[in-house]
Parts: sequence; structure tokens; C-alpha cells
Amino acid sequence: MSTKNKNDQNVPITIGFKAYIALITSILIFSGLFFNVEGMEWLGAFDFTTLCGSFGKMLNPEQNTFIGENGISAKAGFLFSLTLVPTVMLATGLLEVFTYYGAIRAAHHLFTPLLRPLLGLPGLSGLALITNLQSTDVGTKLTKELYESKLITKKNLIIMGAWQYSGAGLINNYFAVGSVVFSALSVPIITPLIIMFCLKFVGATFVRIMLSTWYKKDFIDE
Amino acid sequence: MNNKINKPSSSNPFDIFIVGARKGFYIAANHLIPNILMAYVIAQILNLLGIIHFLEQLFSPLMSLFGLPDVASTVLLTAWFSASASVGLILSLIAQEQLTSLDTTILLPAIFLMGSQLQYIGRLLRIANVPRRYWPILMITSILNAFISMSIMKIII
Repeated sequence: MSTKNKNDQNVPITIGFKAYIALITSILIFSGLFFNVEGMEWLGAFDFTTLCGSFGKMLNPEQNTFIGENGISAKAGFLFSLTLVPTVMLATGLLEVFTYYGAIRAAHHLFTPLLRPLLGLPGLSGLALITNLQSTDVGTKLTKELYESKLITKKNLIIMGAWQYSGAGLINNYFAVGSVVFSALSVPIITPLIIMFCLKFVGATFVRIMLSTWYKKDFIDE
Repeated sequence: MNNKINKPSSSNPFDIFIVGARKGFYIAANHLIPNILMAYVIAQILNLLGIIHFLEQLFSPLMSLFGLPDVASTVLLTAWFSASASVGLILSLIAQEQLTSLDTTILLPAIFLMGSQLQYIGRLLRIANVPRRYWPILMITSILNAFISMSIMKIII
């Protein structure tokens, strides 16, 4: 307690314009003044109770899952997000097993020879790219290290950035997040994945072409 | 997604599965649930203010090129901010019969190709030191990729 008081005395607290706006907004949102204003339902967008929404109801118990029907806003969103947890856990559990048995290493081996002809990138950039399919953050870290150790040029870095940026963390995101709509797909699950993988190359090639034409002057030294 | 590649300590496939499933729970609790809750609330705000209706009208001609309903533009706009929120939105739209399974099939690859771009500026482009000058072209490329994927999906379904 005493430390807090000491800090209070030493650090002058400036209360800006923003702070008052924040205070007024918070009072308005939590006050309930905008709750169900007749004829001006849009004011509900600034009312806490309205934004809490409602859980869905068991209108057709034979068909409804626990989220029910016609739920809205935060309450509906929360219940809905719970339905995703088992799918995500199953997908990440399986991916972990496949990764452990070397799926990524095998992919890296098959992938590396394609880099020079397709993207003009050195073979050593393969690991960063293939890792990006699994984890955006680890792929980024590897790319950064390659550039900082001067193993790739600035142009390489941008092309690698383009490849990684569109559809980052592809395999993990597709199976962890996308898996919840797999049952609604009208094509085999693998089809969108292959298309996205190929388009990563299309996008990176487009950027490569742009760098050698539109941005040509930037890379005169390379 | 925060998927650190940690080597599981055991070589038993069941234990390895558990390590992965635990990561999945972490993703769900720390990313999916807060993101989806926020997306539902934002959707409700936009809905109450009539903004969703306006945006859907605006992008309606573009969506009809791919044979998609107006509401698909909201899915794509959401995807740009957060892919997981967008997938959540698709599911709720399917439940409300506003999107069919064909629409979902067309939209799914686009969501990941242009997904969470705002977030990845910080997590990818900035950290990897990609010069700021080239960020717009990378962003345009991603959106272009998304639209190419929608054209391809439209043809193959």
C-alpha cells in the first residue's frame, strides 16, 4: 500500500481529453440509458445489456445442440465458440503426432528443389517456408535469422515474406480453425488446401515479377 | 496462433497426441473464444447501426460475380481482421441458412489466403524486417490470391 502511495505522489498523473471521453463513454454504456429506447433501437449498439445479447433457446430439442436457436451477441458467441474446442483439440493433437514422425522433414526434402526454379530463392530458405506452413511465428523467426546472417538478399526476403504472408500458418490454421466447417464443404478437405498452397507460389511469383519491374530501381545493387 | 514447436518429452504417440491436444485447448481458450466473442459483439453493433446492410449493398455486385450472397462480403471483411472470427461467422450464417455449403466451399480458401492480415503485419512482416515500403504490395497480393481462389473454387465445385 505504501509503495502505491509513494508512486502516487511522485508521478504526476495527467488526465487528458481522452480520459474524460473514456469515462463518459463507459458511464453511458453501463448506465442502461440506451437500453431498448423505443423507436431508436440502434442506440442499443452503445448499451452493455444489449451487447451481452442472449443465449439461444431450445426451440427444437431434437435438432438443436446446446447453443440452441436465435442466440445473439456475446452470450451466443461464447457458447458457439465452445463448440469449436473439441475439433481444434483433435486436429492439433493429430498434427502433433504427424509432426513428431517427421511429416515436416519429409515435406522440406520434397519442397527444397522447387524453390530456385519457381521463386528464385536459395535452397536454404526452404526450412523457413515449410515451417511457416505449420507456425507463422517460428517461420518468421527463421526468415529473420537468414536475413540478419546475410544468407538471403533483401529481394529474397520480400519474396519469402510474400509467400508466408498470404495464408500464413496454413496447415495449422486450416486444420485447427477451418476444421469446424469441414462438414459443410462440398469438395474433399484436401482440395482447398492444395489450392491455397499453389496460390502461395502464384502470389510470391507476382511479387517477384513486381520487384523486377515496378520496383526495379530498389534492387540495382543486388 | 501461437504454435511453438516444442519437442514432446515422450515418444509414446498417445502422449504426443495429448501434447498437441493441449496446444489446441490453449489456442481455443486464448485465441478462438475471445476472438469469436468479440466478432459476435462487433457484428451485433454493426447490425444495430445498419452498417452491415450498407456494406453488403456496396459489395453486392462483386459477390454476385462469384455467385455468392451479399452476406459473403461481411465474411471476407471479417476474415481480413481475424480468420477465426470469420470461420465462426460462416458457421452461424450456415445455421441461419444464409450461406449454403457451396458458398462455404468457395469462401473457405479465400478466408485463409487473406486472413488475419492486420495481425500478421505485426507478427510476420515487422518481425522479419520486411521493409515497410513493400507491405502494400504484399497485402494486395494476398487479396488477389483470395479472389483467384474463389474463382478456382467456383469452377471446380
